[in-house]
Amino acid sequence: MNQIIVLFGKTLSAFSQMFNLGNGSTWPGHIALQINKHFVRDILKNSATKIILVAGTNGKTTTSLLIKTILETNGKTVIHNSSGANLINGIASTLLLNANLIGKVRAEYAIFEVDENSLTKVLAEIDPQYILLLNLFRDQLDRYGEVATIAKKWTDAILHEEHINLILNADDPQIAFIGQQLFNQKLVKYFGLNAQGKKEFDHAVDSIYCPRCGTKLDYADIYYSHLGNWSCPKCHLKRPQLSQEAAPFYPLPGQYNEYNTFAATLVAKELGLSEGQIKHGLQQFKPAFGRQEIVEYQGKKMQLFLSKNPTGFNESLRTIKELKATNILIALNDRIADGRDVSWIWDIDTEMLGEFAKHITVTGDRAYDMGLRIKYSGIPNSTFQTSTNLKSAISESINKLSDEETLYILPTYTAMLELRKILSGKKIL
Amino acid sequence: MTNNSTSSVRHSLTIGWLYPDLMSTYGDRGNIITLQKRCEWRGIKVEVKKISVGDDAKHLKLCSLVMMGGAEDRQQEIVSEDLKKGKDKILKEVIENNIPGIFICGAYQFLGNYYKEANGNIITGLGIFDVHTENTSKNNARLIGNIAVKNFLNDVLIGFENHGGRTYLGKNVKALGTVENGYGNNGEDKTEGAIYKNAIGTYLHGPILPKNPLLADWLIGKALETKYKEQIALEPLDDTLENQARDAIVKTL
Repeated sequence: MNQIIVLFGKTLSAFSQMFNLGNGSTWPGHIALQINKHFVRDILKNSATKIILVAGTNGKTTTSLLIKTILETNGKTVIHNSSGANLINGIASTLLLNANLIGKVRAEYAIFEVDENSLTKVLAEIDPQYILLLNLFRDQLDRYGEVATIAKKWTDAILHEEHINLILNADDPQIAFIGQQLFNQKLVKYFGLNAQGKKEFDHAVDSIYCPRCGTKLDYADIYYSHLGNWSCPKCHLKRPQLSQEAAPFYPLPGQYNEYNTFAATLVAKELGLSEGQIKHGLQQFKPAFGRQEIVEYQGKKMQLFLSKNPTGFNESLRTIKELKATNILIALNDRIADGRDVSWIWDIDTEMLGEFAKHITVTGDRAYDMGLRIKYSGIPNSTFQTSTNLKSAISESINKLSDEETLYILPTYTAMLELRKILSGKKIL
Repeated sequence: MTNNSTSSVRHSLTIGWLYPDLMSTYGDRGNIITLQKRCEWRGIKVEVKKISVGDDAKHLKLCSLVMMGGAEDRQQEIVSEDLKKGKDKILKEVIENNIPGIFICGAYQFLGNYYKEANGNIITGLGIFDVHTENTSKNNARLIGNIAVKNFLNDVLIGFENHGGRTYLGKNVKALGTVENGYGNNGEDKTEGAIYKNAIGTYLHGPILPKNPLLADWLIGKALETKYKEQIALEPLDDTLENQARDAIVKTL
């Protein structure tokens, strides 16, 4: 039966690709699961593929692609679910596309990005060799509810499994604590930063209380949001020892990308690659669309930084400031995938823009809300303009660029997809 | 009240921001930013006093305006414990003395008489608003979405609500307004929020003040009036962008 589903799914996908029908990456899997709800489990039982699950609020796509690049550069075969296909139906679709006609996947490795709220469901169908947990930040509150709730769901789902290797961000107390509760400590490895950090928090910070006893945590160094070298003054729970605090090469700017790079390096090491092989892989890395990818359009350069929650947005702003940005386009949508409530934009430190931006164009469905945020950041009216039409907003921004200048674009998720359509003439993935 | 005058650089206000580190989950900081800027743009000096766990309750008495936002359950427990150590009495006192305030979502529920959880457990509130909230298990669905409310200023408030609790008004409190689109306090009686003296409770995120400049200015006006014991007019500001943002939402309702 699964073989028939595979054949059917491949036909559907080919059809949708041929006609450029857009997001064909989840509905074949959706149909497969309707026919056989254990489709994912069955296909993987047939295959010898080693599975790595990647979960976290920010960084899944970049980190998955880092790992994929390292593996493929070193001759391994890898499948990976496309960005945006990180629910169980997306994983099913990926398996459909890559399974042969006897329902077997031949790739040596599968890297699956998993949406925060789907990890439990996915673990019911998949037995991964590795789970990589990157971070947990406030994101889309109207879809997910609370950060603490997700941490609890993850803990319950993971601690039930007795033989999965965990690769965890030591600097995120809630995530580190999952590892610290595991009976077999040999199965957990941690990555984190070991550098001088800040002594004070940004505004939009979650989970700074001890995950074990609820006391406010002390931080010797704060890196960003609630990530840092933490310890509890009451029960003495503290950041676990790091197995990875550096990388042989850094393909992307931004402190948040150090975490992604360390995570990918640690996973690759666990899979048996040498430092030299990992370095070689990282040097070949090309960023994913929207995650610092540089695109040429109408003769000018633009670089996109997907920014979908306060933490990610702040890190994008810091990074483009380092890159000496002066022309910025911000695109805020409020579709289901972005989160319908845009209150979160008031947790972004947009005041930073006053330090470096010369021209800001604000666009998207909720352009005026973002315009208000910018206005209330003390940015003068002459520095920013608001326009709900994405295409004309891009043209207006481009007109202000000199030949050498880059336009830095900070879009939310669906705005990024729309941009991709405009900038490359293709619907997403 | 003595003669009317207009706000100017002679005036200053202290805004008390309760538990900013714990109860700021939904962008409620935007309310403080809005109040601050709307004062600064008129030359009114503003100090924002952050009052949190362990801070002396007397700081509240120095405030001309108070704001408290919403939070996750774990943080609300911590806040509840701290409030009972003295801040609750002072808060009641300053509100009785007509200090304007805005209390959002979890804070609104706290200031009510009680909150009844799904398991029947009753959590006592501060009893400042004559309201109570229930979150019974059969009402599992959260009340979520854009909301428009015709309020006591005859202005339509535009915001976004997201709450599991259903709040019911008692006799000694008025509704903040009537729901035109959305759920409001409980999805049944078309009321939204509550107002007692100059203290407002509401479920509106957005956050509420950036897109509702009339309400923001009402709070500022009341703060000046209570401090300087005279009605002080506020210079109008250019609210074009605010109105464009409001219209964009109204079109979708």
